[in-house]
Amino acid sequence: MAYHSGYGAHGSKHRARAAPDPPPLFDDTSGGYSSQPGGYPAPGADVAFNVNHLIGDPMANMAMTYGSSIAFHGKDMVHKELHRFVSVNKLKYFFAVDTAYVAKKLGLLVFPYTHQNWEVQYSRDVPLPPRQDLNAPDLYIPTMAFITYVLLAGMALGIQKRFSPEVLGLCASTALVWVVMEVLALLLGVYLATVRSDLSTFHLLAYSGYKYVGMILSVLTGLLFGSDGYYVALAWTSSALMYFILQLSPLFQVRSLRTAALGPDSMGVPAPRQHLQLYLTLGAAAFQPLMIYWLTFHLVR
Amino acid sequence: MNETDLTGPILFCGVLGASLLLAGKVQFGYVYGTSAIGCLGIHALLNLMSSSGVSYVCVASILGYCLLPMVILSSCAIFFSLQGTFGTVLALVIIGWCSLSASKMVTSALAMEGQQLLIAYPCALLYGLFALLTVF
Repeated sequence: MAYHSGYGAHGSKHRARAAPDPPPLFDDTSGGYSSQPGGYPAPGADVAFNVNHLIGDPMANMAMTYGSSIAFHGKDMVHKELHRFVSVNKLKYFFAVDTAYVAKKLGLLVFPYTHQNWEVQYSRDVPLPPRQDLNAPDLYIPTMAFITYVLLAGMALGIQKRFSPEVLGLCASTALVWVVMEVLALLLGVYLATVRSDLSTFHLLAYSGYKYVGMILSVLTGLLFGSDGYYVALAWTSSALMYFILQLSPLFQVRSLRTAALGPDSMGVPAPRQHLQLYLTLGAAAFQPLMIYWLTFHLVR
Repeated sequence: MNETDLTGPILFCGVLGASLLLAGKVQFGYVYGTSAIGCLGIHALLNLMSSSGVSYVCVASILGYCLLPMVILSSCAIFFSLQGTFGTVLALVIIGWCSLSASKMVTSALAMEGQQLLIAYPCALLYGLFALLTVF
């Protein structure tokens, strides 16, 4: 039957030269096998026979098509669910970066004091992607910085002989929880305090993720130069980050820190709300050094 | 990159696990878990960063083939401990080698100009994870 004819077709050892008159069951499969680009070396009659027997078996064929259709359906379902929660196009905006942008942005995060123009540029009402505008927020740097921080924590613990994969997972989850809580707090503050909402969740995620760059620098300096180096780097990155966040205060609709303290502005935003915006910006700025210290001091003993 | 196969990558993962076993660390689960989740992460990142998408199998195949130098590192770990200056330097060189080759393959396959270093960095992080497993 099927097995017997399969066995008979492998009297010759070479797969590529198929049997002179292959039985109908084996027609397509042996042809398909020999046309693989990698080339299938025929190691011996037994191995070739077994695999060919599996491929030619109609039950196996049906199982394979069933399995692949299930996998396809599964992938479809995952995509649909994902698209319900996360708009991939909006997310793609934050990842449209290139090397020059990343280098300049990292320089800006470490030394923001000489940058003049902090406005995000628009083109026909649509904000320019990070490739073309240095002031646009991006999610590439925060994501990479977060993962680098987790790995660096693992390395720091490993150097101090305190490493185990569980501790790495613990570090990662702690940092993730803090990020989520901070973004939720900022979302709440923005919801209470601002009139127009230019700031989506991803914007807040981006801005709160920039502190991980400061964390990485502090931990690296601490590992290289000891405790003193750590505190110096902590002070430097905290002040740079606070300056950076304060320059972003127009996004929170605070006109300028001086006029905001005087009274309602011409747009008719009532004074208490302006004060709330001011407190929100100052609170976000002051929160950064606390977070940097909290998440790194146990790594640099 | 139409021919994507997973035979090589799976074989390399197995050999990596085996050489780690020979060095005294039974960490097969971590190797497989790290590679699967790492491939998933890089696949998501590449889909977000490139204009044309990639399939998971393609990413897994590229990353798996570029894992080969890491096998060299872990075989070195059998003979001498890597926790010293020489071991660190060797690990860094191997990580750089793996990630540069992986990013070169990815940027040529997806035609993403100006982003090779940006792709090399997450690959370096992933291979750094493997190096962490190997060294410590």
